[in-house]
Amino acid sequence: MLFVRNLLYSLRRYRFLLRQLVLRDFKVKYKRSVLGIAWSLLYPLLTMAVLALVFSNVFRFSTPGVSYIAYLLIGLTWFNYFSEASNLCMSTIVANFPLINKVYVPKYIFPLSKCLFVGINFLLTLIPLYLVILLTGTGLCWQHVLLPYCFLCLFLFTLGMGFFLAAVSVFLRDMFYIYGIVLSLWMYLTPVMYDIDIIMHPLLRFLMSLNPLYQLIRFARTVILSHATPSAAQFAACAAPALLAMLVGTLVFKKNQDRFVYYM
Amino acid sequence: MDNAMIRADGLGMQFNLGVEKGFSLKQGFVDLFDPKKRAEKNRRADFWALRDVSFSVSRGEVVGLVGANGAGKSTLLKLVAGVLKPTEGSLLVRGSICPMIELGAGIDMELTARENIYLNAAVMGYSERFIHSKFDEIVAFSELEAFLDVPVRNFSSGMVARLAFSVATVVEPEILIVDEILSVGDLAFQAKSEEKMLQMIGGGTTVLYVSHSTASIRSLCSRVIWLDHGRVLAIGSADEICSRYESSALPCLDPGAAS
Repeated sequence: MLFVRNLLYSLRRYRFLLRQLVLRDFKVKYKRSVLGIAWSLLYPLLTMAVLALVFSNVFRFSTPGVSYIAYLLIGLTWFNYFSEASNLCMSTIVANFPLINKVYVPKYIFPLSKCLFVGINFLLTLIPLYLVILLTGTGLCWQHVLLPYCFLCLFLFTLGMGFFLAAVSVFLRDMFYIYGIVLSLWMYLTPVMYDIDIIMHPLLRFLMSLNPLYQLIRFARTVILSHATPSAAQFAACAAPALLAMLVGTLVFKKNQDRFVYYM
Repeated sequence: MDNAMIRADGLGMQFNLGVEKGFSLKQGFVDLFDPKKRAEKNRRADFWALRDVSFSVSRGEVVGLVGANGAGKSTLLKLVAGVLKPTEGSLLVRGSICPMIELGAGIDMELTARENIYLNAAVMGYSERFIHSKFDEIVAFSELEAFLDVPVRNFSSGMVARLAFSVATVVEPEILIVDEILSVGDLAFQAKSEEKMLQMIGGGTTVLYVSHSTASIRSLCSRVIWLDHGRVLAIGSADEICSRYESSALPCLDPGAAS
């Protein structure tokens, strides 16, 4: 209880810092480019165009009944949010050592700011995604109002992982390399480009369905592609890993945060 | 209730110098075959930067810290500022702190001066409203009006220091932590910043002040804590402690020792 109260207090006190950090990331990211902030919309739009071009003509997995481009892009948008945000989170503590060593700032604010920053980018990529949804004739349905639930679960899952990675990488710098490999393996094990049904082995398929990212993507696909309401099990499969990741990530982070300064 | 703003009780800060270097697989493997050496290394690596430090600072008091390099002065300041957590003992700090230890912790070279004022102020924990109201004052003090929208990477180091100083000193903190009087920038700004520091110290706030200049300690502080190898050697009036510290640090200059 005291922990929650302290957390709320520091969140209120440092919400200005949080906003400044997110703003800073935006400013610095597009600082020296001619098009500036327009890139945050243009970049995902163009990447999606490239992917759509490549995957609809060169590689093509079958996704019966639904548009493959929409299928692919949903998976990619979701997965990219996770991989980019968690990757950025991982280096936040190490990168901010000069700051942490000089003034007191609540350290959780750094991973949190990265998850929010990438989260805003994620919301911007939804614009080209919806363009694709409309252009491919996938169409809309009322179930789209359920998607914010999915975003929230994705955000919490990523944040929890981000806390864990940020804390661990302070003590084990090898994490930066290990996680890069883990991410690319994770990417191929997640049915982003292919349908999970092409996995013939039932046990393997079951194991793959335990992947939280797959469950989050499946939720979105159920809504966007099948125009269906996800089952209660699907709701639970999104929330459970998110809460678990938050619990473990926060605990690991909180338990170790006072020792960060010794490992610079 | 007493009116102590800072109260340290048996404060200890241990650094494990061995751990700091990080664990490597190779070293771990080598140590596996030599447990005696490993234990010895671990023992040697434990280093107490501060031990059994007890003192209290009351409201409005200006307390100096003296001691040789490595005596633990900066560690103590960092503990009070909340950057470090003590290994043992307790530390109570009451009120808002302005740590003038290292300025410009939050300066981002890619951002403009205007953006940096906001970012830096946010890092120090000030609210948005506060900075809005003080923005003009900060800019005026830094004398950087003409460069507000220039990225800080194009600034000279003196200009960066002026910017950082102006943001840091705009507050009226309840506790001021000072590591040497900061005078930054060119000659004119140095005089101005020093005056501002002295004004802040003399303005009735509680101050913890580290300096190697016993002259400035004598003139500013009412009480002095003398640290030596992480322990409190003496606490007393500024004159008394400074004299003793001078004669121990500079025995050849001490008239008593010369005769």
